[in-house]
Amino acid sequence: MSEQPTVTLTIDGKALSAHKGTTVYQAATRAGIEIPIFCYHDRMPPLGACRMCLVKVEKQPKLQTSCTLEAADGMVVYTDTPEVKAGQEAILEFLLINHPLDCPICDKGGECPLQDQTYKFGPGRSRFVEAKRDFAKPVSLGPALVLDRERCILCWRCVRFGEIIAGDDALKGFERGFSSEINTPFTLPVQSKFIGNTIAICPVGALTAKSYRFISRPWDNRPVQSTCTLCGVGCAVEFDVRGERITRTRAREHPAVNDIWLCDLGFFGHAFVDHTDRLRRPLMRREGGFVETTWDEALSQIASRLGRTSGPRVAMLGGARLTNEDAYVATRFFRAVVGTPHLDHRVDARPQSPDLAVSWGMGTAIADLALADCVVLIGCDITETYPVLWLRMKQATERGATIIAVTPKALEIQRFVRWQFLHRSGQGGAVMLALADAVRGTAPREAPQGIDRTALAAAAKALGSASRPVVMIGRTALDAPDGWQMLAASGEMCRKTGTELNVMRGKGNAFGATAAGLLPDVAPGGRALADAASELRQAWGSLTTEAGMTAPEILDAAVAGGLDVLFVIGADLANDVPDRERWRAARARLPFLVVQDAFLTETAQMADVVLPALVAAEKDGTVTSIEGRVQRVRAAVSGPGDARGDWAILAALAARLGKTIAYSGWEEIFNEMRGLIPGLGIDERLPVRHPPLGKPSEPERPASAAGGFPLILIPGEALFDRGVLTSRSPTIADLAGEPWAMLHPDDAGTIDAADGEPVVITSARGSVAVRARISPVVLPGHVFLPRGYDAAPVNTLIDVNEPVTFVQVRALAPAAPS
Amino acid sequence: MLKGMAVTFRYLFRPPITVVYPEQKRPAVQPRFKGRHWLTLYEDGMERCVGCELCVIVCPSQAIYVKAAENTPEHQVSKGERYAEEFQINELRCIFCGLCEEACPTGAIVLGREYELAGYTRASMIYTKPMLTEPYPGSSGRDPGREI
Ligand code: SF4
Ligand code: SF4
Ligand code: SF4
Ligand code: SF4
Ligand code: FES
Repeated sequence: MSEQPTVTLTIDGKALSAHKGTTVYQAATRAGIEIPIFCYHDRMPPLGACRMCLVKVEKQPKLQTSCTLEAADGMVVYTDTPEVKAGQEAILEFLLINHPLDCPICDKGGECPLQDQTYKFGPGRSRFVEAKRDFAKPVSLGPALVLDRERCILCWRCVRFGEIIAGDDALKGFERGFSSEINTPFTLPVQSKFIGNTIAICPVGALTAKSYRFISRPWDNRPVQSTCTLCGVGCAVEFDVRGERITRTRAREHPAVNDIWLCDLGFFGHAFVDHTDRLRRPLMRREGGFVETTWDEALSQIASRLGRTSGPRVAMLGGARLTNEDAYVATRFFRAVVGTPHLDHRVDARPQSPDLAVSWGMGTAIADLALADCVVLIGCDITETYPVLWLRMKQATERGATIIAVTPKALEIQRFVRWQFLHRSGQGGAVMLALADAVRGTAPREAPQGIDRTALAAAAKALGSASRPVVMIGRTALDAPDGWQMLAASGEMCRKTGTELNVMRGKGNAFGATAAGLLPDVAPGGRALADAASELRQAWGSLTTEAGMTAPEILDAAVAGGLDVLFVIGADLANDVPDRERWRAARARLPFLVVQDAFLTETAQMADVVLPALVAAEKDGTVTSIEGRVQRVRAAVSGPGDARGDWAILAALAARLGKTIAYSGWEEIFNEMRGLIPGLGIDERLPVRHPPLGKPSEPERPASAAGGFPLILIPGEALFDRGVLTSRSPTIADLAGEPWAMLHPDDAGTIDAADGEPVVITSARGSVAVRARISPVVLPGHVFLPRGYDAAPVNTLIDVNEPVTFVQVRALAPAAPS
Repeated sequence: MLKGMAVTFRYLFRPPITVVYPEQKRPAVQPRFKGRHWLTLYEDGMERCVGCELCVIVCPSQAIYVKAAENTPEHQVSKGERYAEEFQINELRCIFCGLCEEACPTGAIVLGREYELAGYTRASMIYTKPMLTEPYPGSSGRDPGREI
């Protein structure tokens, strides 16, 4: 690489050299010279709105804004002459003219750049005696955000964040001059998945969090560095803890993962941790109801039940909510102590779907997404599933990257999607084949109806000529009726373009559960069971190294009466499994169900014994993100009542069964894992191991609409939902709102449903009540229903034996004539 | 030597300054004496304290605990948006330096003249918000109409 040209300048008498193109402000900061700023933010280009960063440049008559001033050769700059000081004081005095100075009641007080800089650079007194700007305050801008317009210094950081970083234009500036104000377009509740970041970068207390309102002061908070486990991106976070409560979550800088950003699920989604519904004591079923019991009794009961059965009649499901260490000890417990190979964390996988044939996770590094020149999203709704990854893609689009999306519902980011192929259910495979053909250079075969062939050819051309393409396949594609076809075509496309397929699948620590061996057919580290057998035997003693049943097969076995005991750890099967009816049938035939969780989930309500477990924010250990990065979680709070960490529970249970699982702490487990999992290390990335692709185990059957059910159901993802955890984080539950479904205006017209009105969706299996959202982002004939709302569970509608679920939508109240 | 003894004798025949406390008490302490804390009110009965926690951070002995909350139109405790939902002072830890009073932006917390602070348990020496709040505006001895 050629040397970047540099310039030499003098700042405060120090001779500095800087790359050409850097600003005076950047050069000074790098040399440790402080210049106060408000509007400039180093993740965004300079703007020059606040004038706080004034410096004196020799041979220039006026003070200059250093954030916009490009460093030039021979420039002589002063940051602390009396003239500069006078300038800074004047700017601060000017900014404070309309600032209410209500620091005592302001949530930013104590960590406010305006406060700090006024102390450091301000005049100390004001000559302003006139009335200040008077706005009604505070203004609520939706469930998460509170705006105080009087405090705003109009630095435009929040507005530009929405334009440049998130691309959602959530906040805008209105009016001019004295009456300028920040607000949302049409003063509607703010529409964003990233608004927490504007709170973080607002240099004053104009934007504050509703959930943190008056909860704490910076000096009350003890910061605990940890990792967000809510989606799988694994953003670096800092929990602020006051006493025994997490008061807020903030982003920690991690250049390779989240940079300095988080999504709102990360910002506001950890409130469930201290919810009063948390399980505090073990529960046992007695005479139809639950009674609280001691650990001693609960563990004895489980141990005696396990003693009366044989290993292979026991199975374990769940694990994505565990830490790596928990998952590893669980693998050891079930394989070596209980002696069963039936363990699987992929509880939400459809039977016979390609879900079970691929390794979940990204081979592409998160940071490299920003460098991609073409991104293909196949059935992957990136902002709803792995939101912070979108911020990297947004950076890539700023550099001119092309986004191609093949989805049954137009993406929220469609403004940035160059080619959106909106396909009918079951046609995604055909679109992908045509696209793969076109990339290969062969003329695309017949493009499916409604898909523009020239667009396909153009998209393929862009992809074919891309030097750093990124291809992602998501759950919507893998679960689709033609999922195998989509997978095969995606794989083919990747081969042609010389890139790898990123399988965007798995929430929380699913990657870590895979790596720790919570799978029926591989050993920890993704190795073949037979290869790892001797090493495992050395570490664990005798164990079973057979291949076991996958999650759907475990349910089948339970339905057939082939299981005696099922452990469910950190999963809510009733809502997670693709087909609720099958879970019910399985539970009915299951003699003994143990659930280990933080809340009395629907699954736990059906259990025989419920063990209260800690959540990630209460545990020390490591988790693994979707890109395989192993990161630390740290116990911010100690957890409610008698709840225990998952591996400790299993170790205690092992002792009851006469086996020893003894570790002094997570470090010891981690060290043992390092011996078995190649490449394991803190902040290292584990590789994704791609197993050879299996063939579709079942021929695809054409789906035909059954009488009376004219619409096709597309289950999908929403970032904000109301599940076990999210419904107990008030901000997220508010952001999610009531369960909803998306209908095309044509279909809505035929059933007389109006936007926001209640409708009932019925399939041959069951029905759910939701609010209709009407938009052409879905094609006519389709209904999009997000998973994750426990009040409207998608899986009550689905019969996994049918490739496609047909439904009928009925308006509860006829729409008022307009 | 004689000179020294003269001083001694002079004091010997003066009335003693020592007060036989608690049988006898001095009429009043100095006006600037710093005794127990009061949380004062405005004339209209509104609490002055806005729960800003400046007294908490300034206190050298970490004797104060404040938990703030938000005023609502139905439940307006103080002027502005914020008030102290909980307020505790550990009078055992307090060194009566008066920094809290100095830091307070609204003149809410003041140190009164009462110095007879004793209790039989440690817990009884943690003064809670009802104990600290003056019973009616001005009862702590401060003018409720003052600016701060
Ligand atoms: S709300 Fe905050 S970030 Fe936005 S313009 Fe005002 S001061 Fe700047
Ligand atoms: S993107 Fe995922 S990991 Fe990051 S803050 Fe949001 S929920 Fe947490
Ligand atoms: S008087 Fe001093 S020691 Fe006592 S509470 Fe106030 S600041 Fe703390
Ligand atoms: S007493 Fe004064 S300093 Fe202390 S919290 Fe109340 S208003 Fe703030
Ligand atoms: S920081 Fe340079 S003008 Fe605002």
